[in-house]
Amino acid sequence: MLLILTTFLPLAGALLLLMIPKEEVGLLKGTAFTISTLTFIVSLFLLGLEPTGFSHVVDVPWVEPLGMRFHLGIDGISLWLILLTTFLMPIVIASSWFSIDKKVREFVIALLVLETGMLGTFAALDLFFFYIFWEVMLIPMYLLIGIWGGERRLYASIKFVLYTMVGSLLMIVAILYLYVQNHALTQVWTFDYDTLRQVVLPHGPQLLCFLAFALAFCIKVPLFPFHTWLPDAHVEAPTAGSVILASVMLKFGGYGLLRFAFPMFPWAAGVVAPYLSILAVIGILYGSLVAFAQTDMKKLIAYSSVAHLGFVVLGISMWTQKSIDGAVYQMLAHGITTGGLFLCVGILYVRRHTRRIDEYGGLAGVMPKFLGAFLILTMASIGLPLLSGFIGEFLILLGSFGAYATWVDLPIFFPHPKLLVGMATIGVILAAVYMLFLFQKLMFGPNDNPKNKSLLDLTPREIAYLVPVILMAFWLGCYPTTFLSGIDPAVSQTMAQFKTKWGQSNEEVSTARLMASGPQDPDAADRNVKTIEIAPGVMAPAPTQAE
Amino acid sequence: MKTFDATQVAALAPLAIIIIAGLAVLLLEAFAGSKNRRFLMGFSVVACLIAFGVQYTAFVDLPVHATSSIFSGSLSTDRFSGIFGMLFLANAALVCLLAPDFLKEHGFEFGEFYALVLFGTAGMMIMASATDFLTVFIGIETMSLAVYVLTGSWRKNAKSSEGAMKYFLVGSFATAVLLYGMALVYGATQATNLAEIARAVAHNSNSPILIIGMLLILVAIFFKIAAVPFHMWAPDAYEGAPSPVTAFMAAGVKAAGFATLLRVFGTAFNNSDLAFGASGWAQIIAIVAALTMTVGNLAALRQENIKRMLAYSSVSHAGYLLIGVVAMATPELADHARGAIVFYLVTYTFSIVGAFGVVSWISSKNDERLQLDGWAGLGSRHPAAALAMTIFMLSFAGIPPTGGFFGKFYLFRAVLEKTDLTWLVVVAVINSMVATYYYLRVVTAMYFREVGREPRPIVSAPMTAAIAIACLVTLGLGLLPGWLLTAAQNAPIGR
Repeated sequence: MLLILTTFLPLAGALLLLMIPKEEVGLLKGTAFTISTLTFIVSLFLLGLEPTGFSHVVDVPWVEPLGMRFHLGIDGISLWLILLTTFLMPIVIASSWFSIDKKVREFVIALLVLETGMLGTFAALDLFFFYIFWEVMLIPMYLLIGIWGGERRLYASIKFVLYTMVGSLLMIVAILYLYVQNHALTQVWTFDYDTLRQVVLPHGPQLLCFLAFALAFCIKVPLFPFHTWLPDAHVEAPTAGSVILASVMLKFGGYGLLRFAFPMFPWAAGVVAPYLSILAVIGILYGSLVAFAQTDMKKLIAYSSVAHLGFVVLGISMWTQKSIDGAVYQMLAHGITTGGLFLCVGILYVRRHTRRIDEYGGLAGVMPKFLGAFLILTMASIGLPLLSGFIGEFLILLGSFGAYATWVDLPIFFPHPKLLVGMATIGVILAAVYMLFLFQKLMFGPNDNPKNKSLLDLTPREIAYLVPVILMAFWLGCYPTTFLSGIDPAVSQTMAQFKTKWGQSNEEVSTARLMASGPQDPDAADRNVKTIEIAPGVMAPAPTQAE
Repeated sequence: MKTFDATQVAALAPLAIIIIAGLAVLLLEAFAGSKNRRFLMGFSVVACLIAFGVQYTAFVDLPVHATSSIFSGSLSTDRFSGIFGMLFLANAALVCLLAPDFLKEHGFEFGEFYALVLFGTAGMMIMASATDFLTVFIGIETMSLAVYVLTGSWRKNAKSSEGAMKYFLVGSFATAVLLYGMALVYGATQATNLAEIARAVAHNSNSPILIIGMLLILVAIFFKIAAVPFHMWAPDAYEGAPSPVTAFMAAGVKAAGFATLLRVFGTAFNNSDLAFGASGWAQIIAIVAALTMTVGNLAALRQENIKRMLAYSSVSHAGYLLIGVVAMATPELADHARGAIVFYLVTYTFSIVGAFGVVSWISSKNDERLQLDGWAGLGSRHPAAALAMTIFMLSFAGIPPTGGFFGKFYLFRAVLEKTDLTWLVVVAVINSMVATYYYLRVVTAMYFREVGREPRPIVSAPMTAAIAIACLVTLGLGLLPGWLLTAAQNAPIGR
């Protein structure tokens, strides 16, 4: 019930906003802010989780003849991503208080509908619903970029939609394929995640289905070479759009890989993962180098996202407990820091209406408070210890370094996994290079541009929405236990499920079949509390060929 | 075969109501002055609603697989004809609502318009329940003649005449091909009744005359549903026809064509030799489906004229639907595939009528605003209309939460039940991505561009009502599709 309330409160709020006349700009923004804050408060009550399985489960039939169910539930992974979303939404609305002056009503409605779409996507346990929410997110974002965006918004918005559609349409074909295979085996039509996860496909179709899912998610991440939509979308989107895009929407890629693509098609995942990790490392290095060459602040941060999310994919594709913990953690940390950096760029943009780095310089003298906030977020993005970026990257590198056992029978040309990790580490250094470069160009040097002489420092409103972000950056950096205590069990459970299925799908089979330990009769199976026993504190061993 | 009796007349009631109403409109037209033409519209809409109600009761009362055969087996009423009948009647009612103020604005108001719409609808209903080649032919001709006249009814507009001329010539050619095919099939089987043909085919299915005849009939139906390579007439006819008529054509004629295709190929030629043998219809339709989707979408990409764009898009939708017809050839998939086609047709009908409704609404005298530029900034001037158009576009593109999404979804699911047609689904999915681009161009123009010429839409209560209904149904089917899926599944061709 709580989950339904969290998910649909923003949508209800959007309907409420329809009743408010569009001239009442202040009222519209105030209502939207109140609703998103309420959503955040409600979502905090989600914090108590069951030790295993999914919590706060809602499961009601929707379209009976097709077996579509309205099935929501969360575990430690989705919980924190949901909280990230609800946390950022009031901040985003507060940040666009004065910068959005046209079509305010439509703007706040789009934001709230988008929030429902994002929350639903994180919470959906019915593959069909997952797909619906996934598509529902698309349209508000398209409108946000297209209506309130910059000069090249038409190009950027269409590119964004087409890239996302390419992935998601192939994904729905794969979902349908699984759905039909499950019906052939059990005579039951269902899109239920836990039930469809029991279907073991032969290697050929499994590989195709994995690729269809992975393509959708890799475009979203975005993994090199599917990243080209991101700089365009980021640069053209309004500040609110950029923040949501970077902080939340990119996370669907990592979330989808971890929740759907890997556990559902373990054999195929094992085959493809090494290649994913190579692309991830290329993305880290390439994103960092390209970021360094940018003259536009937003583009620089956009390419830095490509690099940071490369770490996420690296962590997932290495598939060890630590590396996945780190990947999830990195998603949260990136959401906070990059969101914060985009807010800072937005603050400068409102004052000067330019994002060119060379237009600025010597801001330290005129905007000391801004300097402080920007410094902390820059350091967090670089991965300075005690700030949010450090823990995630460290865990990913640590976990990946010990991941050699996961990979056997690799093609001969393949670089040693430890070598890949080493190359990824260079990315951490490069991050310091380009972020400090940006910081230096903006803050230090002579303030020789007359337009910058009298820039206003942070207003109380801006301080009010930057402070929570900065506090979160510290919290994530100083006391990771708060977050890892939820993430860690969920990850080990996902890994255990992966391992069970991996063991069964390793042999080539000619037709699809159900997992041996899985329920033969889906009605008898209790979908929600299927648990796989793991002794507390013991990390699930990495799956190896020998098992 | 039963002969004529009173209970069978009752089965014909919806058809009879529509024909009598059409005749009454012709009669009343003579007495109605120019001020009372709106009354004719109301009269026609009420007639459609009554017929719809009667059709609905008949549909609900009829057991699922039952059929009642009338006129010595030349027409039969079953749930299949019932659900199509309701679709045609809803379509006709919406078109009647769209028409009056459009005709008035452009100065060619005439009362016979409604009579022609009703007669055309009667033709479609005959097509859906025809179980004999002769009645199939009568249905197609009744429908086509009405639509030819409607297309050319805007006499002052050269494009209208051009469209009507092309449509008429191509249509007549298609009719000739159809008759030739029927004659050959008669030669091979000595029957015109679909059930008798099916029996004859079961004994001898590899006669070349039979196969050639069957393929000629197929070609004629391809003309009617505008499948590639027989689609050339569609853009011109769609563009030339007055927009409410285009709505009628795009929805009704296509749905009626599919009704005939499903019934003729689902009964008379429903034979695995004919479907999968040498030059079997299933393989031919599969290739035509892939071509139709691809060519329709690629051509639509480059259109600046919204009516031509929608015309090519409707060509591509015929392609998606044909995938379902291919699946229908496999007996295990037949029920799901037919249900999916019916569902798709319903969502498509409401979306396309709504879309052409908005196209009619925006056109003012001497400024039809068919170029996409004319739609710039509509989102800020007329948000409700722009929202409705957006919903129709999203429905065409198959993006939830609209009916069009479920149409595609349900169709693909039905086809994927047997894996050898997966390639067609992949082609369809790739096409959907391409299609998203041009549907979003309309949305982009309405919302993301500044107003060019101030739009001066037609102010009309009936038109607004029609667009609103179409919009609500499109959205409603996206949120609660279950009931229609069930109804469509339970509307098989009677045995």
